[in-house]
Amino acid sequence: MAHPRPGNRITDHRVGRMGARLAGRTAADASAASNLGPALEPQETSLPPDPAGPQRIEAEIEAEIEVEIEAYLAAIATRLASLCLAGPRRARQAIIAELRDGLLQATTANLEQGLRPQQAAQAALEEFGDPTAVAAAFAPELAGIHARRTALTLTRTGPLVGVLWIAALAAIHAPPLRHGLTGVWLAFPLVGLGLATAALGTILAVATTGRPSRWLPPRPRRAPTAAAMVAIAAMVVDLTLLGMLAGQAISAPTTLTTLSGFGSHGAAAVVVLAPVASITRLALSGRATRRTLAARASLA
Amino acid sequence: MKAEVLKGHLDGLLLAALEAGPAHGYGIIHALREGSGGRIDLPTGTIYPVLHRLERAGLISGSWSTAGRPRRIYKLTAAGHRALEGERSAWREFADTVSALLEGKASPWPTPDPATA
Repeated sequence: MAHPRPGNRITDHRVGRMGARLAGRTAADASAASNLGPALEPQETSLPPDPAGPQRIEAEIEAEIEVEIEAYLAAIATRLASLCLAGPRRARQAIIAELRDGLLQATTANLEQGLRPQQAAQAALEEFGDPTAVAAAFAPELAGIHARRTALTLTRTGPLVGVLWIAALAAIHAPPLRHGLTGVWLAFPLVGLGLATAALGTILAVATTGRPSRWLPPRPRRAPTAAAMVAIAAMVVDLTLLGMLAGQAISAPTTLTTLSGFGSHGAAAVVVLAPVASITRLALSGRATRRTLAARASLA
Repeated sequence: MKAEVLKGHLDGLLLAALEAGPAHGYGIIHALREGSGGRIDLPTGTIYPVLHRLERAGLISGSWSTAGRPRRIYKLTAAGHRALEGERSAWREFADTVSALLEGKASPWPTPDPATA
């Protein structure tokens, strides 16, 4: 740890003011901050006054410290961004803000120990560790946030897409009982399996990234795996439904031209909207599959 | 003491550091470093994610303090207090057992009486 070196000292008085500002202390914080190090007591020193004026020097020193710390934070931010592709941006910004506060506090503590400003900042950066290692330590957290959000987003599209397809099937006269559970309804076990898998994956993704995780040993890959399960299941469901409609169009094209229910315009709309919704969601779940699997692979 | 052994108890140690009251991340990590006499010398930046994981698990709660520069303050939740107590009793049981076996001390556990068994 840093030891006061007389030759390196700038006046305690100045360090005190700068330190307090760097630490972002307020009156309310004072008690919390006091346990971080010995209380700072301004001392009179015999050093001659700085000809350039203390204000300017302080500003320059602060700017230097800031440049070093911001460069380090930028290195971490870059690595975080590359971990999860376009992962959760707000979570990344929060991480950087929290690290910035910690680094400035560490720098202040070092200044109070008598290190020169640049050494103080450098020692703080060393204490925090290699940017790659810090970013890697955050990777499971970010992957978890991304996985949870992916699973919930895909699940939320379920009811809308489901209603559109039920309406579309009703419009093309494919109610199950009239056809004795043949034709398009043959696809339904596969759709059911997909929905069950998606539901299970969502429950897993939410549980492993939320409160229940306190009872589970930390396994970084669990949440991305669960989210990938949801995304793949969603793809299976959509492909099945689209295949079903294509099959219907080939085997009984007249059912698609003589629509009923909802008025003819409404019927035509749902028969078009249902596949459009599924194709849109296919793009979404395809991208989600790629990203969650990439995040999963990048985690140890 | 081996750093790996201490690292295995990091969750409990972080919870213990918050028992006295709310603190910010750097304060918690600093307390851990000082309290261990420097034996816990993990890179500070890699401990923040552990705090985030504990927060997700609902053992601690974090909030941004708005006064001055953004600062995240953590405090122990009721579940966190319970988890800390659990860690403590598990540790005592472990330490007592290992002491009894390694140092030949009297076992803290009453031996079952064969007459009543």
